Amino acid sequence: MLAEVVLIIDDEPQIRRVVRHALAELAGRVIEAPNGREGIDAAAAQRPSLIVLDLGLPDMSGAAVCHEIRQWSTAPIIVLSARHSDQEKVALLDAGADDYVTKPFNPSELQARVRAQLRRASLGATQPVAQVVEAGEVSIDLAKPLLKKNGAAVHLTKTEWDLLRTLVRNAGRTLTHQQLFKDVWGNSYGDAQQYLRVHVRSLRRKIEADPVRPVLIVTEPGVGYRFENEQ
Amino acid sequence: MTDVAAPSRAKPWAEAALWFAILAALTLLMVAFRDRLNAAHVTLGYLLVVQGGSARGGRPLGVALALSAFLCFDILFLPPYGTLVIQNPLNWLVLVAFLASGILSAQLLYRAQAEAEVARTRAAEVDHFAILGAETLNVARSEDALAAIALVIRTTLRLDACSVYVNDAADVSEETSKPSELVRWVASRGESAAEILDGTTRVGVSAGIAADQGSLSEGARELLQPLRVRERTVGVLSIRKDSGLSLDSAELRVLEALSYYAALGVERVRLAAEAERAQALQEANRTKDAVLASVSHDLRTPLTTIKGLAHEIAAAGDARAGAIEIEADRLNAMVANVLDLSRIASGAAVTDVAANDAEDLVGAAAQRVSSLLGQRELRIDVAEPSLVGRFDFSQTLRALVNLIENAAKYSPASTPIDLRVARLDSRLVFEVADRGAGVPAAESERIFERFYRRPGMSPDVGGAGLGLSIARGIAEAEGGSVTYATRSGGGSLFTLSVPAVDED
Repeated sequence: MLAEVVLIIDDEPQIRRVVRHALAELAGRVIEAPNGREGIDAAAAQRPSLIVLDLGLPDMSGAAVCHEIRQWSTAPIIVLSARHSDQEKVALLDAGADDYVTKPFNPSELQARVRAQLRRASLGATQPVAQVVEAGEVSIDLAKPLLKKNGAAVHLTKTEWDLLRTLVRNAGRTLTHQQLFKDVWGNSYGDAQQYLRVHVRSLRRKIEADPVRPVLIVTEPGVGYRFENEQ
Repeated sequence: MTDVAAPSRAKPWAEAALWFAILAALTLLMVAFRDRLNAAHVTLGYLLVVQGGSARGGRPLGVALALSAFLCFDILFLPPYGTLVIQNPLNWLVLVAFLASGILSAQLLYRAQAEAEVARTRAAEVDHFAILGAETLNVARSEDALAAIALVIRTTLRLDACSVYVNDAADVSEETSKPSELVRWVASRGESAAEILDGTTRVGVSAGIAADQGSLSEGARELLQPLRVRERTVGVLSIRKDSGLSLDSAELRVLEALSYYAALGVERVRLAAEAERAQALQEANRTKDAVLASVSHDLRTPLTTIKGLAHEIAAAGDARAGAIEIEADRLNAMVANVLDLSRIASGAAVTDVAANDAEDLVGAAAQRVSSLLGQRELRIDVAEPSLVGRFDFSQTLRALVNLIENAAKYSPASTPIDLRVARLDSRLVFEVADRGAGVPAAESERIFERFYRRPGMSPDVGGAGLGLSIARGIAEAEGGSVTYATRSGGGSLFTLSVPAVDED
């Protein structure tokens, strides 16, 4: 069991049922709230380890709920939505959501996302900085810093290290172009998407087995990038 | 208001009778005192009458009175009395001077009155235009403005009927009466037409109004005049007087000016209708978007439940539940396709066009189709590294995925699908090639039509027949294209091209 309490905020009882069923084996207790206000109150009172939030709530926008919960909670938030544009996804992630699942979703897909978020959250709590991350053919030592691919050391530029560090520390979580840009380049001015594009490409050449089919640095179309080390 | 300046006029014959009676009375009076009067008295007396008559009855009466007075003067007051003979040659001078001054004064009075009349007419015209302007500006509906203009023309020119027809794109329309064929002819040709009293019809330039020439079709009963704004015929003005149209040059001038008002009024009707249509269209689009968005949401929520429950049932060991999940996915794909089509149709297919890596797009596409292809091979060939294009990443990904899915559908599962990226001049081309049966030349364009399904394919294979249409719609929205070609060695070759970017 990965989580003690999981909170579902959704106005549709049928969806709540499906989500509850999907999460039954992952959580000790699943609590439900039918609207944003009660959801925020439940999140404050019960301190869930993870929150599943539906966007079509009758009383509040999903981004507003995210934003409010993020003021005092670090619990991962997974957003459910019928359809969102890339801009909406970006806005949600920037508001503090950790991941999103588009309806109609497969329960196993939701389970996988929840599992990834819970693992990431628990890792973050126990090991603030992972010493060495093994992913695919590479081992990444963020402290030294040292990157080895198939046992051989690979040189990374400073920017590439900054980018890789940010991605690895948020492994399993989609980072928007803007979030990555802010983390790596600070508050410099520039076109986040264009800087990132160039450096992600060079980084993939160095760490991916096949840069044309990346499995470590995954593109989230129109939104950003995510580091995966599920293998 | 127009009556204030105009003198009240009795009928001409009554006026003449009155003045001849006055002349007769004066003559009788003067004959009675003939011994005490000299020529000067008589002259003055008669001149008064002539001038009075001219003032009231116009030039003809004045001249008639002058001639009558001349005869009376000669016969009754110049010796020898009773004859036209004049003894004293000096009296000839008196008589001729009298006649000349009588006629002259009649003439002068006439001219002064005519000028006053012109001034009054002008004032009336100005009044009419003021009324017309006020009326056309005041009415709320543009159709009412036309009716107001027609009414003003009718009353101003004392016509029996006046109508304004709007030259609609579809038809010539008017509120009350149905336009005749002649009206349609005038509207389409932009030339005048006139119906003559004898029942014949005259068309062309000779039939129309020409105020500068002061002419109008002789003996016309009805006149149809095209209304033009900026060289375009926007409507038809029809005026009719059953007893025959006779307009003087001033009236023609008024008619011409009013016609222009009518043309502007017609133009206003057209613009108002156009604005209304545009607004309605916008409203319809908004409604459509709202409906689609809510349909999309309302469909996906139950689909989620269906999928979730099917999943649970399948986990409990019932294999049939798998079919439910697959069907739910198909339904969902259909909803997504319809939404995409509506976005493409409303010109909102792409929203975030920027420089993007070709390699990144290919990688994302390969990932997106990986579960569909399963064990099937997708061979990727990136001709050169660092290819960059200008496109909307998410939407172009959708287009490329559609092409790969299409290739997977229409080629044997045992054959690989090839995806190749290359730079071709100023374009970035993504080629998706399969070893399927290909597409007959006659159908190579039709496959991009919406809901088109290749003949002989089972409905299960073809899906809704929207994938290629959507792919092309997206590519075209970002300045690219999707084309089909027969692949050498057999199969289909679909090419998605987008503008290339030179990396700095």
